[in-house]
Amino acid sequence: MPQSLMEFFETHPEVNVVIYAGKGGLGKTTFSAATAHWMASKGKKVLCFSTDPQASLSDIFEKDLFGKGEQELANNLHVIEIDADKKISAYQEEIKQKILDMYKLDELPTEIDEYIKSAAAEPAMHESATFDAMADLVASENYDFYIFDMPPFGHGVRMISMAQILDAWIEKIEETRKKAMEYDAVAATLRGTAAAESQDAMINEITEIGKKLDLFTKFLSDPKKTAFLMVLIPERMAILDTKRALEMFGKLNLKLSGIIVNQVYPVELLQREELSDFLRNRITGQQNYLKDIWSEFKDHIRAICPMFDREPKGLEMIAKIAERVFEKPWMEGGTLKEVTSGE
Amino acid sequence: MKEEKEEPKKKGIKSALKEFVYGMATHDMVRYMLKTRMYLEHLFMLITLGDMLGIPILPPYYSLKILPYAVPNIATWKKRIFRERDFTDQLF
Repeated sequence: MPQSLMEFFETHPEVNVVIYAGKGGLGKTTFSAATAHWMASKGKKVLCFSTDPQASLSDIFEKDLFGKGEQELANNLHVIEIDADKKISAYQEEIKQKILDMYKLDELPTEIDEYIKSAAAEPAMHESATFDAMADLVASENYDFYIFDMPPFGHGVRMISMAQILDAWIEKIEETRKKAMEYDAVAATLRGTAAAESQDAMINEITEIGKKLDLFTKFLSDPKKTAFLMVLIPERMAILDTKRALEMFGKLNLKLSGIIVNQVYPVELLQREELSDFLRNRITGQQNYLKDIWSEFKDHIRAICPMFDREPKGLEMIAKIAERVFEKPWMEGGTLKEVTSGE
Repeated sequence: MKEEKEEPKKKGIKSALKEFVYGMATHDMVRYMLKTRMYLEHLFMLITLGDMLGIPILPPYYSLKILPYAVPNIATWKKRIFRERDFTDQLF
């Protein structure tokens, strides 16, 4: 038997960042919420963070959280859903105001105004803004446990590689900056004047960004601290996608910590005579894929979660799912026996 | 009274002498340094604000943070980067 989700967290007590990645619509948000709920009930101060541009956590917690900052939903359970558009426009205004204040201008030079506008329209801007918010939160160390609900796959992992690249980039520009300042200082000494001070502010800014990214990258690439979990359903497409994800993880030198199999129909239903062909076919199909999943990803599987009779929404349902995933991770009954019978 | 009047005169001579020596000995060095400094500055701006010239290097999120400090240099930077060049450039 592979390690269950609960056993995983017990044997990895230092893990305090969990990232859910995977195809859309399989249950990442559900399990993010469930994990957050479980950890909070164990007395950890938890922050569940959605990087999804759609308000997914708001839907699952049945409360409008979008763009509202950090919200406490239950004891120890905090949730934040970033409104990237709002964040970007606030950021733009901040930069504009800074320029106006620094140079005591009444109006921005057109060229600069245009640059700020066009920069904000970049498609990567959204990702960067969300990414920066993530880095900010983790660097602040206000919580014991962070859960990130990533948007569908490629994007989520790209963010991690972005952290590594940005970190290296900041390091380089810090270096050029320091070199430039050395020249400044020498020239100033030779002339007998004092070196300009305004340059210091820039290097401070860069160092600050660098520190933040460095900390975040260290967190993400440390398997002792960060766990990557994927959600999978017993369907062909999802299995292929997970295989690709595993390859991608390998390329980025990251380790996949576990897979949760979701939306599994109880196999006992097959014993009912009145079962419709529709369901019978569905269940047999799923069982075949489950066998594939088991042989393909066995060591990574941390829980198998059933399909529920209603949509997983609201705190009560989330608590129920958390209990299923953490306390009864292998779905009682025939499901697993059937699947693992070939072992 | 007499001494007080002489002070500024002495200072004037001193600073004139200082500037003369500076011009003779170190001005060229300083000029050369400031020029290298300018190259570094422009290189720095290229890697941070490159997309202003249509050279996208990295997402501009963090570039915007640096933008306010670079404002005074943008005009000269663009002028130098886009300037036509010929062999006389080698002389200076």
